[in-house]
Amino acid sequence: MAQAAPISQPEVELTYEVPEQVTLLNDAWRRLKRNRIALVGAVIIGILLIVALISIIWTPYPVWLQAVGPTYQTPSLKHPLGLDQAGRDILSRIMGGALITVEVGIGSAIILSLIGIPLGLIAGFYRGKVDTIISFFINIWYGIPDLLVALILVFVLSDALHLIPRGVLVIIIAFALTRWMDVARLVRGQTLSLREREFVEAARMGGARDFAMLTRHIFPNALGPIIVQATFAIPAAVLFEAFLSFLGLGLPPPTPSWGAMAADGYHGMDFAPHIVLAPTVALSLTLMAFNWLGDGLRDAFDPRMKR
Amino acid sequence: MTAQPAPTPTTDPTIKTALLRVEKLVKYFPAGGGLLARNIVHAVDGVDLAIQPGETLGLVGESGCGKSTLGRVIVRLLPATSGHIYFQDTDLTKVRGEKLRRTRQEIQMIFQDPYASLNPRMTVGDIVSEPLRNFGVARGRKADQRVQEMMRVVGLNPNFVNRYPHEFSGGQRQRIGIARALVLDPKFIVADEPVSALDVSIQAQIVNLMEDLQSKFNLTFLFIAHDLSVVRHISDRVAVMYLGKIVEIGPSDAIRDKPLHPYTKVLQSSVPVPDPDIEATRKPILLKGEIPSPVNPPNACRFHTRCPIAQPICSEVEPPLEKKENGRFAACHFAGQL
Amino acid sequence: MQDLRVQFFVSEGTVTAVDGVSFEVDRGEIVGIVGESGSGKTMTALSLLRLIPEPGRITNGRILYGEKDIAQMTDEEIREFRGNEVAMIFQDPMTSLNPVLRIGFQVEEAMAAHSRFTNQQSRDRVVPMLQRVRIPAAKDRVRDYPHQFSGGMRQRGMIAMGVSNEPSLLIADEPTTALDVTVQASIIELLRDLSRELRASVILITHNMALVASLCNRVIVMYAGRIVEQGPTRAIFKNPQHPYTWSLLRSMPRMDEVGHERLVSIRGLPPDLSKMPPGCKFHPRCRFRIDKCLTEEPPLAEVDPAQDARCWVLMKNIPNPEAEALK
Repeated sequence: MAQAAPISQPEVELTYEVPEQVTLLNDAWRRLKRNRIALVGAVIIGILLIVALISIIWTPYPVWLQAVGPTYQTPSLKHPLGLDQAGRDILSRIMGGALITVEVGIGSAIILSLIGIPLGLIAGFYRGKVDTIISFFINIWYGIPDLLVALILVFVLSDALHLIPRGVLVIIIAFALTRWMDVARLVRGQTLSLREREFVEAARMGGARDFAMLTRHIFPNALGPIIVQATFAIPAAVLFEAFLSFLGLGLPPPTPSWGAMAADGYHGMDFAPHIVLAPTVALSLTLMAFNWLGDGLRDAFDPRMKR
Repeated sequence: MTAQPAPTPTTDPTIKTALLRVEKLVKYFPAGGGLLARNIVHAVDGVDLAIQPGETLGLVGESGCGKSTLGRVIVRLLPATSGHIYFQDTDLTKVRGEKLRRTRQEIQMIFQDPYASLNPRMTVGDIVSEPLRNFGVARGRKADQRVQEMMRVVGLNPNFVNRYPHEFSGGQRQRIGIARALVLDPKFIVADEPVSALDVSIQAQIVNLMEDLQSKFNLTFLFIAHDLSVVRHISDRVAVMYLGKIVEIGPSDAIRDKPLHPYTKVLQSSVPVPDPDIEATRKPILLKGEIPSPVNPPNACRFHTRCPIAQPICSEVEPPLEKKENGRFAACHFAGQL
Repeated sequence: MQDLRVQFFVSEGTVTAVDGVSFEVDRGEIVGIVGESGSGKTMTALSLLRLIPEPGRITNGRILYGEKDIAQMTDEEIREFRGNEVAMIFQDPMTSLNPVLRIGFQVEEAMAAHSRFTNQQSRDRVVPMLQRVRIPAAKDRVRDYPHQFSGGMRQRGMIAMGVSNEPSLLIADEPTTALDVTVQASIIELLRDLSRELRASVILITHNMALVASLCNRVIVMYAGRIVEQGPTRAIFKNPQHPYTWSLLRSMPRMDEVGHERLVSIRGLPPDLSKMPPGCKFHPRCRFRIDKCLTEEPPLAEVDPAQDARCWVLMKNIPNPEAEALK
């Protein structure tokens, strides 16, 4: 009795209205906004970014200019953070250091992702031999004492082979080469579970090619945890650079890396603590801020934490 | 429901009218994972089917019988272990890569879970139009028009193309899935438990929708479900599956009125009817024992361990799926005797 | 149960899951509570044992068991009450059974916890209990863990735990939804037999009306947190008065249907408890509504002896409902 009855039009308009478009991102954003600590972290990072950007075009005094006043001078009106052991304005150098920090942090996160995400996607998606090989490398890399190896890499790339001059780039590369497997392993796990989801099967039924499935379906749905990982990778990279610079193996002087500044001022801890204090506080605040934000993002993206 | 008479034998290879023919299809999975898995799950163990153009063949069975696996192997989401799948004279088991991808324009699937079958990061419009873009069938404005048309056809307001799946209800999401399956104008659709995850009142909406779409677009369905009531209602013919094998095929009313295979009879007696007077007189036939593991299916007739009328021969000789009456096939030595 | 109200207090506001629900269950009766998602049936059942999860609360009503009001009991009294007088069987036996404890031990524990039997008595009763719920080879399987059981067997294990203290009331919340239909048939048979043996009352909560037709003496139909119809099973199925009940019965494909009739679908969407319309809560989806339905909510009124419905119109006043429905 298949009469040509019109398909019943359910009153979609009547029975549901959506006040504003609520996307998943919106939802995560709302949850993030409720997290006070994460917001504080975000604000600090915001300040960091602004300072870094400003320092590109202006700092109160040139970052490298020595003897603008007496050395070791304590903070004063003219120099709110004081002068360091070479008479340079610490405030200006902190601003310059902010730029370095941002470069190292974000640069590392980007290179890490560029290496780790494709490897993770491919390993998780194709499985089999490809996965075995990539997983093998991931596991091997985890056995490497990363800090040590990164140090060696910096030395080898810059000083021994003179391939890349000492600077932010070599640090980023060294860091990324020793920590890429964090991202790769995470993405691989995400991909393994996502590829079994029905909407991925549906995409295959719709004729999507492998590349489309990875880029349009799997990757966007793995973004949440990836962003969280990246947010945690940034302070790790920053700390790494600070550590290197503190050891004198990082950026060459007179680059105002916060780590280098702390190293330089270390000897004056007793009589001129402000030299060490400024970069240390800046570094600590930055690291904490990224961690707070990372925690907040992780909670915001977690689909299970529905109120 | 189309006015098709009980179609012709299913295992006759000379039948050319079948739209889709499955021959001795086998799908095994290694169990316990790893390269050295010694246990094999016999998910689909030699299935023969033929589906006529325009008909709805229902595939019913309980959990673990292999019906969902069979559905996925037929559409080639899973590779077959052995056997053949003939779609309009092409053996799909021999097609790979780009050619396989091209077959997706003709064979589509509707999925069970309305919450998991739509990409949460894509708008509904993108989800439905994606197949169009994948095959270069339509782009831009033409694609948009087609998407809106499809949404209207499945009963959704086309103004909502820019919304995301989570803004819709389960029934609406299922409609989106149906729109996506139809957008390429396929000939054959495998529906894997399309209404099982929906509320009863919404199930009827989707069942009616599928029937309307079938007559409007001349579709052929393989309707997989565990609910015999729904399957019997929507299907022209029904195939009953148990532990990886088809035990009975026949017209849906005949399956209901006079089941030949004991398992079918048990199934039919176990399904309650919403009528207290009828239910007061019925008593379900209870099966003894548990469903055997598909890793180690019983010898000969797989059902013999639980069958109320099992005889010695049932554990020695496997009954083939053969014609018992016109248009009716059963795999039993004592068909019709329960 | 009298005038029960259960509300959930969430950041977006208050959601009323159950509103003004009243009904009685007599000794030995098997009552079915039918509804779909959002109907409030599960919350009603949970409230009987004060198992409402946070952030929900019973905000109104009395639940009288004999003389005592369950809603007012102290925690101590409730603990004694649960499992002793009233037992509950849940939908998914896998998550309700402790996976690291043996089945026999869990059944024994269920008895020992309520001090109706001594420890020795409890231990002795375990195997007979498992046999009573028709677990084959009970003596051997007593020492098995839940994951070694199939779904149907686990459900039987749960039932064994539930009836081990010989409760007077058994609440089964969708006990067979996760099970195959052949297993469902045997579990329903078991419940039927057990209720007769124990002379216990049973409240069966389900979305499957056919199950209700098979097992229950009385039916309560719920929609959007309210009872919309209740009465003896036969009356409800043969002569449904509320449009929702009527439409629900006609939207189900039936094994015994002759020929092929188009299903009558209920249009629209399941109710959103946070955005309830004024008037009758079913009116947005009702084919038979009149103007009054949009503004005033009908009371649950008697429409026939022993049958109540919450509707201004009532199906008996509609001359040719089928024709209306297929329009």
